[in-house]
Amino acid sequence: MPADRMMHLAFSAHLTGSHPAGWRHPSTQMNADTDIAAYRRLAQLAERGKLDMFFMADTPALRIDKLGAWSRYPLFTNVLEPMTALAAIAGATEFIGLGGTATTSFNEPYNVARQFASLDHVSGGRAAWNVVTTANNYAARNFGHAALAPHAERYERAGEFVAVVKQLWDTWEDDAFVHDREAAIFYDQDKLHPVTHEGKFFKVHGGLNIERTPQGQPVIVQAGASSAGKELAAATADVVFGSAPTIERARDYYADLKSRMANYGRPPSELKLLAGMPIVVGESMQEAEDKHRSLQELLHPDVARQRLAMDLEADLSGLDYDQPIPEDRIPTAANLHTAYFAEIVRMIRSEKLTLRQLAMRYERGTRSLRGTPKHIADTLEEWFTTGAADGFMFALHLQPAGLEDVVKHVVPELQRRGLFRRDYTGRTLREHLGLVRPENRHVQKVAPSAA
Amino acid sequence: MNADGKMRIGYLMNNTGVHPASWLHPDAPPHTGNSIEYYTDLAQTAERAKLDLLFRADTPAARTRDLEAWSRYPLFMNVLEPLTLLSALAGATSHIGLGGTATTSFSEPYNIARQFASLDRLSGGRAGWNVVTSANEYVALNFGLDELPPHDERYERAREFVDLVTKLWDTWEDGAFIRDRGLGLTFDPAKQHRVEHKGRFFTLDGALNIERSVQGRPVIIQAGQSEAGRALAAETAEVVFASADTFAKAKAFHDDLKGRMARFGRAPDELKILLSLSVVVGETQQEAEDRFQALQELTHISVSLRFLSGDLETDLSDLPLDEPVPEHRIPKSSNLHQKFWAEIVETIRRDRPTLRQLATSYSRGRNTLRGTVTQIADLMEEWFRGGAADGFMMSFQVQPSGLDDFCSLVVPELQRRGLFRTEYTGGTLREHLGLRRPANRHVSALAAE
Repeated sequence: MPADRMMHLAFSAHLTGSHPAGWRHPSTQMNADTDIAAYRRLAQLAERGKLDMFFMADTPALRIDKLGAWSRYPLFTNVLEPMTALAAIAGATEFIGLGGTATTSFNEPYNVARQFASLDHVSGGRAAWNVVTTANNYAARNFGHAALAPHAERYERAGEFVAVVKQLWDTWEDDAFVHDREAAIFYDQDKLHPVTHEGKFFKVHGGLNIERTPQGQPVIVQAGASSAGKELAAATADVVFGSAPTIERARDYYADLKSRMANYGRPPSELKLLAGMPIVVGESMQEAEDKHRSLQELLHPDVARQRLAMDLEADLSGLDYDQPIPEDRIPTAANLHTAYFAEIVRMIRSEKLTLRQLAMRYERGTRSLRGTPKHIADTLEEWFTTGAADGFMFALHLQPAGLEDVVKHVVPELQRRGLFRRDYTGRTLREHLGLVRPENRHVQKVAPSAA
Repeated sequence: MNADGKMRIGYLMNNTGVHPASWLHPDAPPHTGNSIEYYTDLAQTAERAKLDLLFRADTPAARTRDLEAWSRYPLFMNVLEPLTLLSALAGATSHIGLGGTATTSFSEPYNIARQFASLDRLSGGRAGWNVVTSANEYVALNFGLDELPPHDERYERAREFVDLVTKLWDTWEDGAFIRDRGLGLTFDPAKQHRVEHKGRFFTLDGALNIERSVQGRPVIIQAGQSEAGRALAAETAEVVFASADTFAKAKAFHDDLKGRMARFGRAPDELKILLSLSVVVGETQQEAEDRFQALQELTHISVSLRFLSGDLETDLSDLPLDEPVPEHRIPKSSNLHQKFWAEIVETIRRDRPTLRQLATSYSRGRNTLRGTVTQIADLMEEWFRGGAADGFMMSFQVQPSGLDDFCSLVVPELQRRGLFRTEYTGGTLREHLGLRRPANRHVSALAAE
């Protein structure tokens, strides 16, 4: 490990905070989810903290049943769409990476390739695409399907989708557009490489109508924890968001993922694993705990039960709130978020919690890290230096207060320790992440003989 | 004619200009490519002139054959994608409408509904969606097809697509998001309306995950001039881009389209017809002619020929340049832009030009008006006051000079004549155009009581 290795920091931009009750907290702006000015302020704040990436999670669907619970829990209920929002944020920022989710299950490769390429140009090389297969049936029903395709099929489609998009991004060699007015030649025909793809899911014969992007290709992000997800990430991802709940499991995941990369001829350094890390910063340990508890207490019981039911993929209605969830209500396998599902099952079986206890204790993904800036920096440093992560994807319970804490208190502590940049040294997201600008596949082939 | 007696003016913002040789002209920047700063300058110039709408045409395809011609004429070969471009421009402007093309043939209604709703929200109510069915075989090949579906089928799909998108835009009533912290309630469940749609092309059971847009819904734009296109526009469009080379044709189109609206319970002023008009301004008419001619002469013959072949829908490149186009080479009918096709066929039969003459003189849509400020303003006034259009969709042969000339010379003349606004009086595109904010279909009945 090089001595000057720096961690990479991204954060998920839920505008009132990642906690389901964040919007009820007096410090948050209640209508921020659709207020572009709030998005811009948040991105600018993160840029002052020299963070690598502003990230927007997404799902193309509204939850239209169980309104008693969902009307109390704004989970993608009323949000700006990522491509439009990120393009609108680009002009208000200069350095920070702009990542967003787009699903491979309900889009066409050409449209996704084009919008991210365009975002990369508009932002001067700061675009990242989080490849997801979408894990909710509400989305499926918005696109003509009764339910999601099975997990394995979604991943097979995702693999083909990403391959087509990356080919489209290499339609033009970097110097294809010569703009030669004397000869009336706008581009060099030899540097145009149309895609010829016929696969199980897609047939594409054509070229992308936008030049190669500042980053060569936008950064590819993934978050899959399943075996199929890890395989796809090892083959194609530049960044992976991890979701391991403990440092031990994070190390296993890190080693597993990076070891799979050799099968695809990729060195481990070509992929940056950012561990998902919900954090709550306090002046004292007690203050951080209090901040967390006060939010948990704002959780409506219907919301707590609903988010558990959603990730356990089970119907929990009619169950006694003060008894454990009976074994026969636990599904045998997950079709949606494998990691969330496994975590709940583990908590049920090993901790024997009542439904109420489980509902109040469950946090989507990793259990939040709560403490002083020093305590948090200690933990991040341990994860970073012992093979559990290349950096972190923060989820912040409240916004913008959570990000303010990171920028004012956590980042300076990490900088003092030499673990995080004091200023940007590049302009593109790839440069921030220490990722090479990929060669165009059509140039690589001819390079040896030309030289 | 608009109630306030003023014309509406849109602006077709393409890269270096609409002329195929514009990129060769010294007035155009040599490498506009995809510089957001360049587009920001154009958008701000148009906004300073108080124009209603900045519009971005589009096709989701690169032309990958006939490269001898296309490499000399970069038509949509290297362009920013409209939704991302318009979103980026939203932050650099405050009033001007932001319209863009998205195809109904190769998109999903949910994604289109969402992206335009998001653009409307983040621009403060300035979004417009130009509904097209895509008339370009290259597009089909990018989306798993071997060729475009037939014209009528594309329009049938477009109609269902638009219907579904407008339903999704009414998912939420205005005021649905009450955000009551005390009650812990973000929205009123009674004001969320699920869409259940089962049609020939689409099945959807869901709802949009963004609140009702600032404009109620984004403005719907169309440009089809075929029978199917007019029928769709009369039913659903709020702005129509028309093209005609004579006052009589423009007036006939205007009257026909507006006359069809009553069938759908719509009043004529619920739709604004903007006539496509490309201008070249000169100090004298001769100077304007010379400027245009200079561009024509910059055009490579293979480009002229390709352009003509494209709109005639047949490849003419094997024919001798100095003889007329033989009758048997004219296709029997059009599957793409019917109007352009018909104009070329008419010229071949009426004037019998040589292929070279035909190719070098052909300029799509024909409305390149060359003249002085007074001549241009006179024509716009005459057509507007004569009821041939509610306004104009301007394009320029070369940018940024063409836009600059129009905004600094022609717009002030129109303002002096009282034909165009001197300040924005509203904040949204609907307000600029004089279109009312539509009621949500789920509350309109109640509101009327």
